[in-house]
Amino acid sequence: MTIQQIIDPAKIESELIQIWEGLAKENKMRACLFNLIVFNIVSARTDYIRNIVQKVIDKFPCRVLFISFDPEAPVPYLKTAISVVAPAGGEGGIACDYIDIGVSGPDLQRVPFILLPHLIPDLPISLLWTEDPSQEHPLFVPLSKLAQRIIFDSESADSLLSFAKTVLALKSQTNIDIADLNWARTEGWRDLMASTFDSAERCDQLKKINLVKITYNAVETPFFCHLKIQSMYLLAWLSSRLKWTVKKTSKSFSFEFENGIHGAIEKEEWEKLGPGTVISVELATSDGHIYKSARIPTQYHTVDIQISSSLQCELPYQFVLGQTATGQSLVKEIITKGTSHHYLEMLKELNQLDRDRLC
Amino acid sequence: MQIENPPHPLEEAGRSSRNIDPCVLVIFGATGDLTGRRLVPAIYNLGREGLLPPNFACVGFARREKTHQQFRDELKTDINTFSRVKPVEESFWKNFQEHIFYHRSEFDDDEGYKALASFLSQLDSKYATRGNRVFYLSVQPKYFPLIVEKLRQHGLIYDVDTTTDRWSRVIIEKPFGHDSDSAAELQKDISKNLDETQTYRIDHYLGKETVQNLLVFRFANSIFESMWNYKHIDHIQITVAEDIGIGTRGHFFEEEGLLRDIVQNHMMQLLSLVAMEPPVSLSAGAIRDEKVKVLQSIRPLSKEDFEHSVVRGQYGTGFINGEKVAGYREEKDVNPRSNIETYLALRFFIDNWRWAGVPFYLRGGKRLPKRSTEIAIIFKDAPGVLFQQQGKKNDPNVLVIRIQPNEGISLKINCKVPGPSSPIQPVKMDFRYGSYFGQTPPEAYERLIWECILGDSTLFARADEVVQSWKIMTPILEHWAAHPPKDFPNYAAGSWGPKQSDEMISKDGRAWRLL
Repeated sequence: MTIQQIIDPAKIESELIQIWEGLAKENKMRACLFNLIVFNIVSARTDYIRNIVQKVIDKFPCRVLFISFDPEAPVPYLKTAISVVAPAGGEGGIACDYIDIGVSGPDLQRVPFILLPHLIPDLPISLLWTEDPSQEHPLFVPLSKLAQRIIFDSESADSLLSFAKTVLALKSQTNIDIADLNWARTEGWRDLMASTFDSAERCDQLKKINLVKITYNAVETPFFCHLKIQSMYLLAWLSSRLKWTVKKTSKSFSFEFENGIHGAIEKEEWEKLGPGTVISVELATSDGHIYKSARIPTQYHTVDIQISSSLQCELPYQFVLGQTATGQSLVKEIITKGTSHHYLEMLKELNQLDRDRLC
Repeated sequence: MQIENPPHPLEEAGRSSRNIDPCVLVIFGATGDLTGRRLVPAIYNLGREGLLPPNFACVGFARREKTHQQFRDELKTDINTFSRVKPVEESFWKNFQEHIFYHRSEFDDDEGYKALASFLSQLDSKYATRGNRVFYLSVQPKYFPLIVEKLRQHGLIYDVDTTTDRWSRVIIEKPFGHDSDSAAELQKDISKNLDETQTYRIDHYLGKETVQNLLVFRFANSIFESMWNYKHIDHIQITVAEDIGIGTRGHFFEEEGLLRDIVQNHMMQLLSLVAMEPPVSLSAGAIRDEKVKVLQSIRPLSKEDFEHSVVRGQYGTGFINGEKVAGYREEKDVNPRSNIETYLALRFFIDNWRWAGVPFYLRGGKRLPKRSTEIAIIFKDAPGVLFQQQGKKNDPNVLVIRIQPNEGISLKINCKVPGPSSPIQPVKMDFRYGSYFGQTPPEAYERLIWECILGDSTLFARADEVVQSWKIMTPILEHWAAHPPKDFPNYAAGSWGPKQSDEMISKDGRAWRLL
């Protein structure tokens, strides 16, 4: 909404006040529900991250402190810039502060000191750590100490196993709430599974499952390349909830559990669907029931559910997945309190499921 | 007891600010830092806004040689540099400077005082100031008794029992004493020549609008006062944070340290104002009586408390606004092995009915991440029966009175996030003086000098307040002297203090507010 101004760190607050004084004529109101610290290493994903931060602002005004670290810059630098950003459309009367901190080289150690005076007191602090937490980073500890909630994106993880171990260790050592964008992206499917097996009779069927087949969208983008993670999360979630025990895993993403349960993760390519997004889940039971849920190609958010057995074929019905537009999962994770118990159990299950470092 | 004068038949109480006695203000230490930065801009702004008496003169008293005009020119530069309103308004200054003079003398030179007395008499004739005097002692504390004695000897301080047609008042800058004994000694020396009604011990925090508003906020709003007790309040945090270091005050700080510089005076004033009972009236005596009672009710710190309820710190190198800054021991005029504290965190309990069991956490420091002085009232949690989220409690309500900067009051409440699900999010209702009243509040010194000329001592510390405050603080100083710190420097400049401070409050299941 306003042009980004590069300014001295000491002048951040005073210059913001000046901008706001100018905006008073336009009846713009300064709004803020929470502090959102974003840490990002400059890459092809940076624009994507900025885009999802904008989605957060569209929904909830907040003070954004966006840290961009460029480890490959030829000359070390430390730059701070400010702007005022309005929700998309901008027809509402509100806008919020956006503080950019760009850094490279040894000045990285200064970043927490620059950031600290600009957190708005009494409002929650969320840290969106867009990098792999299992890779040590000098800013992770000081920034995580400030936050009540850390949001990871396992998409950035080099190894899902290491990611899961790091997050579990962090949770056991601190009282910080943890969220994960990839976990949030699977929420619709988890809701679908729960609702499909909502009756006592159906719930009983869960014990008889002997096949799980999950397909995902394998179309890569410059900022999404770990495409199997959401499918792995869904399989690990089912496995942890239904107390399955992993026997064998294979590089072809085929999994053997005790009691003859088989799992498989397969790929499809849907051009217009988000990369890595789950396309379908098929469950089969030992008594011949098949539960097939698949997105409708022309209506991505709608899933067609077909339940059949050797004796009968039920009429298909539809389930609308939650809003899965870019950034909405982040919005939801910021506002929800606590750490999902299912998520933590799922991470523990990944220790078995991904023990051969498949992802 | 102070006897209040009967109302003037021609003055309407509360409406006229011009009916103020004529007087001459004499500043001792007129070439010092405080005079240039604070006092002169304050006097200028009072004059510019028509709050000084029409019959007024100001005399600077100092040891350096200079002419009246040189002194005036220096003051003009100071106003242009430090005043909240600048540049100097030439048309006003042209006349106003004619009322400003300089008098050179040593503080112990009888001839100098004799000449001052004669000069003030001349000014009385010229400006009809009627013999009324305000003496502002902006000098090192060791000179306080000497100057007061000399003023008395040369007839410049009047006997309150025999002189009724004119008055003399003395404003004394902090620090008032170095510890309990020295404060008592200083008081004894001063009181030989100065009545308590003539003594105005300045604590500039009391001149700040938000501090004055504390009484209005508490006692003019029934909704808050009814909750202002142990039943509703979990704890109180008082913070005086400065991002600056000690600057050119190395010598001073090496003598004083943070406890004497900020805690014993400013922070204890804030504590007593926030914790006091409603006074029987708004008279200076009634308000100060209640403040003293609070100080008397503070539970003395035991030996164990020195370990668990007191944390001292000293800053090392670090970063402020991204710039590297030196540690305290590398500052100018500081001993490289200094053990002086630049940070202090304390936990007090006030043993009276209202505050039973409510901890008061105080923290103050230099080279913290930002400049911020505030009082935060943290209320008890709502019963956790409803609206828990994943077993987590909602944030407590917090009422924050911001003293500086961004003077104002905010209240944190929990609110439902719009939408079909019901997550709860803390939100802030924020009142800012600047936004609401649209004017820069007067500087503390303006208000205090004006109050002194008016003869209202409400915003000044009384002797028993100061003595009582020292009684609380002196054992800490004695304990420190016997147990020098082993870990200094123990916090980085630009951080929120030593980790022991976080540990102190976290042992109670609480945390310092992140400001």
